[in-house]
Amino acid sequence: MSVVLRVSLFVMSLLSAFWILYNIRKAKVRIEDSVFWLCFSLLLICFSVFPGIVTWGASVLGIQSPVNFIFLAIIFVLIIKLFRMTIRVSQLSSKLQTLTQDFALYEQKKEK
Amino acid sequence: MAIKKLIFIPAHNEELNIVNTVHQIQFFCPDTDFIVINDGSSDTTAAVCRANGFPLIDLPVNLGLSGAFQTGIRYAWENEYDAAIQIDGDGQHDPSFISQMEAKMEEEDLDIVIGSRFVTERKPHTMRMLGSSLLSAAILFTTHQYIGDPTSGMRLYNKRMLELFANNINYGPEPDTIAYLIHCGFKIKEIQVTMNERTAGTSYLTPFRSAGYMLNMAVSILLVQFFR
Repeated sequence: MSVVLRVSLFVMSLLSAFWILYNIRKAKVRIEDSVFWLCFSLLLICFSVFPGIVTWGASVLGIQSPVNFIFLAIIFVLIIKLFRMTIRVSQLSSKLQTLTQDFALYEQKKEK
Repeated sequence: MAIKKLIFIPAHNEELNIVNTVHQIQFFCPDTDFIVINDGSSDTTAAVCRANGFPLIDLPVNLGLSGAFQTGIRYAWENEYDAAIQIDGDGQHDPSFISQMEAKMEEEDLDIVIGSRFVTERKPHTMRMLGSSLLSAAILFTTHQYIGDPTSGMRLYNKRMLELFANNINYGPEPDTIAYLIHCGFKIKEIQVTMNERTAGTSYLTPFRSAGYMLNMAVSILLVQFFR
């Protein structure tokens, strides 16, 4: 891993962590929803500070370039996150549907 | 002059416990308003409350504990109560301690009084209490105040707190909010209460969610509160 890559990884992770904290401050995001992103930034910071993890992971999986291990790790984590988001959106949709129906049925009952 | 206070009872699938819980409240606090908040139960909790004539807010979908909690707080705030206390629908909180908590609040001008299992009693050494001890340690570390029972839901809130909790996100009924409020300089204290084991039904917090819960709380108490 080159120094430039390590430094940019570190800086970008730190910036994104502060951006998340800024959004909590502005009351735009719930803390429980931000925890994932804070841990994710922490993971990338670990990769940049301890490149040994990356070279070790790459050699275990038989990946030639260590940077590909970083890509793989990021993609893996994001796919899991994406799937969990899909579940969340499904649940929210069905709740919204129930809520809208409940409200309309209530109004209809009141009009009778 | 006695303050106008509200007892609100979040209940999720508590058809077996709710009548008993409310009867206890009526016995110990006959002059205090109370309201059941049915958190989208899939059982007959709402029907049981209606049949018994209990005041009821019936949420059409399940919001989870923090959503049901905020509903109670909003109801108290919008109906101009001076204080509100959460008593769980499963009957584990003993309403005979409410008057003591209120007296403590008035005496020392506190913002929140927590009904705590561990002020004079020792914490037992179980897995669940290990989590509780870790949270106590995190709060002590960041705020220099010891909270023996940070996960206790039995909390009495004054009017200032009602306004805050009713109108903001990220003010859930959780230990991280307690830590944040202490950090902001609000006055929070505990008094010793005894809690009952739940008599029937299942708990909100399943063991499977506990690990995620602890991670959330740790990040929130140790890191996030300094940036809020």
